[in-house]
Amino acid sequence: MSKPVPLSRLDAKEFISPANSACQGCAGSMVARIVAKIIGKEMVRQEVACCGPAFGNIQQPVFYGEIFEGAGAMMTGFARAFKRADREDIRVVGIIGDGGTSDIGFQGLSAAAERNEDMLWICYDNEAYMNTGGQRSSATSKYASTTTTPVGELSRGKAEKKKPLPLIVALHDVPYTATASVAFPEDFIGKLAYAKPIRGFRFIQVSAPCPTGWRFDPRYSARIAKDMVESGLWPLYEVYDGTLKISYKPKELKPVKDVLHGQGRFRHLTDDEVDEVQGYVFRQWERLVEKDGAPLL
Amino acid sequence: MMEIRFHGRGGQGAVTGTRILATALYYEGKFTQGIPMYGTERRGAPVVSFLRVGEERINERDLVHEPDMVIVLDPLLGKSVPVTEGLKKGGMVLINHPRGGRDTGLGGDFNVSSVDATNIALEEIGRPITNTAILGAFAKVTGSVSLESLERAINEQWKGRIAEMNINAVRKAYEQTNAPVDVSDLPPQKVETKPGELNVSSWRVYTPVLDKDKCIGCMRCYILCPEVAISMVDKKAVINYKHCKGCGVCTEECPVDAIDFVQETI
Amino acid sequence: MAKKFEVMVGNKAVAYAAKLARVKFVSAYPITPQTTIVQYLSDMCATGEMDAEYVTMEGELSCQASAITASTTVRSFTATSGPGLLYMHHPLHMTSWARLPLVMAVVHRSTKGMQPDQMDTMSQRDTGWLMLECQNSQELLDTGIMSFKIAEDPRVMLPTIFMGDGYILSYTSEPVEIPDQELVDEFLGPYRRPYPMFPEEAAESLKLMGAMWSNQHGPQHIWKMQQEAAMNAKIVIKEVNTEFQKKFGRSYGNGLVEEYKCENVDAVLVGMGTIASTAKTAIDRLQKEGKKVGLVAIKSFKPFPDEEFQRIAGYTKAMGVIDRNVSTGTKGGITFTEIRHALYDLDERPVTLNFHAGMRGQEVTVDGLKRMAEKTLKAARGEKVAPIVEWVGGN
Repeated sequence: MSKPVPLSRLDAKEFISPANSACQGCAGSMVARIVAKIIGKEMVRQEVACCGPAFGNIQQPVFYGEIFEGAGAMMTGFARAFKRADREDIRVVGIIGDGGTSDIGFQGLSAAAERNEDMLWICYDNEAYMNTGGQRSSATSKYASTTTTPVGELSRGKAEKKKPLPLIVALHDVPYTATASVAFPEDFIGKLAYAKPIRGFRFIQVSAPCPTGWRFDPRYSARIAKDMVESGLWPLYEVYDGTLKISYKPKELKPVKDVLHGQGRFRHLTDDEVDEVQGYVFRQWERLVEKDGAPLL
Repeated sequence: MMEIRFHGRGGQGAVTGTRILATALYYEGKFTQGIPMYGTERRGAPVVSFLRVGEERINERDLVHEPDMVIVLDPLLGKSVPVTEGLKKGGMVLINHPRGGRDTGLGGDFNVSSVDATNIALEEIGRPITNTAILGAFAKVTGSVSLESLERAINEQWKGRIAEMNINAVRKAYEQTNAPVDVSDLPPQKVETKPGELNVSSWRVYTPVLDKDKCIGCMRCYILCPEVAISMVDKKAVINYKHCKGCGVCTEECPVDAIDFVQETI
Repeated sequence: MAKKFEVMVGNKAVAYAAKLARVKFVSAYPITPQTTIVQYLSDMCATGEMDAEYVTMEGELSCQASAITASTTVRSFTATSGPGLLYMHHPLHMTSWARLPLVMAVVHRSTKGMQPDQMDTMSQRDTGWLMLECQNSQELLDTGIMSFKIAEDPRVMLPTIFMGDGYILSYTSEPVEIPDQELVDEFLGPYRRPYPMFPEEAAESLKLMGAMWSNQHGPQHIWKMQQEAAMNAKIVIKEVNTEFQKKFGRSYGNGLVEEYKCENVDAVLVGMGTIASTAKTAIDRLQKEGKKVGLVAIKSFKPFPDEEFQRIAGYTKAMGVIDRNVSTGTKGGITFTEIRHALYDLDERPVTLNFHAGMRGQEVTVDGLKRMAEKTLKAARGEKVAPIVEWVGGN
């Protein structure tokens, strides 16, 4: 399994040029920078239509495929072609948003996982189609207010729970699946380092709070990411060799109430709704703890 | 027909402000065409929108290249965005600025009128969103829209307290707008950014300032900076201001509070 | 060297083209009537007869998307029909504006049902792909090989479809000569990677990607460049056709059109694919009766051979254009529209008539074609004929 890497051990070399056109405080930018840094020189980056291209100015070859639904297929093409060209030293990495992973890209994701293609799929999860102004995706949390699930007399935000994507991918029996958070960079880096040399399909979903879409001051991006983990809203775990291992166990889960009310997209939640969310966070956490160290299936 | 160009920041309501003004003008019997420049939704980035105002339906659909008036919603924009480019000779700049008049850094064959919209917005709305306050200034300076029409348009956009606060901002700005002054003898605006260049330092309203002595070299600000604007030199963090957007993440994350967040001087 | 022949179905001829071209990446998905192409390729890869990455993708869109990225680095191929082609419509546009020399076989299948017509490729005619039609299985194999040379020519660099009618060609057997691998290797040469995608080429790669997205020459520029490449393709297609003749002893008209028995005619039928092939028999019979009518088979639909039609107009008084397609809302079939457009600026224009025939696999017989030719001859004599656009009934 992966081990957290102390920041002091990091190489100073960066693979993303400084300053980009993303929003202030963009956690997706943080994700892209860390991924590029850890995977390093031998990386080809796949992008689709999402916020990703804004985390640009990189120093690795990038293929910006406007085919939003095509991340899985496009990365497959690269992985196979590099194999044929005797360049298996090149790691194919996709930095794809939740829409391009969980919704329109889901077919390609599942298919590439089923074929165990040699690629590293990094899903930076800002829980909506943020590049187009913040429409709901299947990765959006329940009750979140988005531009297509607004709050009104007849609507309380998104009516459905967040799609359990990491577990779905893990059940494809791929070499490595993990969740990560920008607020826990040592853990995220450790997981990237672990995933890098593995041949086959690897998937890491990173919680990437979005100041613009989740509606909070940009300075709190990492703070909110931390709260998501501490409260159990976004548990950190990995699945390797079919075994699930929790990466970080808070002594006590932080109440979700403060985490939710700190974000404009949840400001409308009633106490009952907060309790409901608290309820299923506890249940989800309990199930994970039960499975900690055990085979997933 | 009058052509206006707005300069604002993403997430600061420039598009909404343009629409409110267009609505108010419609109540006064004018036809309008509000053109936002849609890019990706980037909070903090300089954005531009256009407004055409005429007596009948406007047919031209190209962009406004030579505005009669330029409205600048954020005083810092003048440093990095060529806000007076294309402005017709004898035209007007209406700028949100604490000092205003001949002290805005703008100079050329046009007049400058100013209002401290940020301050008014903070007083009346509690947030530095200047898109409505500036409309009060517009009404005062041009006389081409009445406060009543602006209020009516605001009441359509928002309800209750929010509408009330914005109307107060409009009225206050109307009172406090400085009369236009001639700046033809002043040197032209010094723009720090080349055309097409991305200059994120112009996005800053607040700037992080690091106290090196307090820094313990934990590298958290370094690894979390979305712009890769922080590097480590001799185990201490160093901020490269050219690349800093002023998001504040480093300020928030520093475990020893070594980074202050200071308002940019205008 | 002894020539190798095999009695094979059209789909196998297509598979041979991909194999002989030494493609290194095949993305596969089944759809009638193309399915056996990818099955033949699968067999060839499984036995080692062919040395390529063979990936069964989860749908045609993914077939195209994966072939796009694969073709940045290795010679690639995919195949589809009808709805499969429609399903990949979105990435088709990208292959062309990214200027990737991808080659794809399309076995015609209507957009309704499984029988052949040109609705599949015609509905994709704006995607920037070159489109080369085939009349028989030999032509499928030969055109497949030629397509790689045309697409990969530096003056072109446009993705290319080579196509033939489903069932009529795909599942019908005929003797086909399999060109010698060595000769094909000489003819095509090695693949030149169009995109620098290796990490040591990062600077070049980023520059290229930057140029693809930049508006430096104005937003329209990439379409202008694409159009210029398509126009260049007219020259390249003819050159490749001539070279193919030299190398393999076969060619197809001048590469853009084939004029069959058009010496000293008053009228011509114009058709594509198997309709053109059947029309040759109709022409033979009519000429035996002394009727002065020939056949023009369009091989290159994109780029459209306007100059060829302007030239042909110089010796014929009437053209009877057969369309195995329709663009609802526009009166007349698509090649009919293209031909009229090509002829418009001429001082003297032949009469042009149109026949909708063969859609959804409706049989097009020799007798049916003879009737169309007779009507066209009538027009050539200056007699009034109506309607100008005719929907040909069953037989």
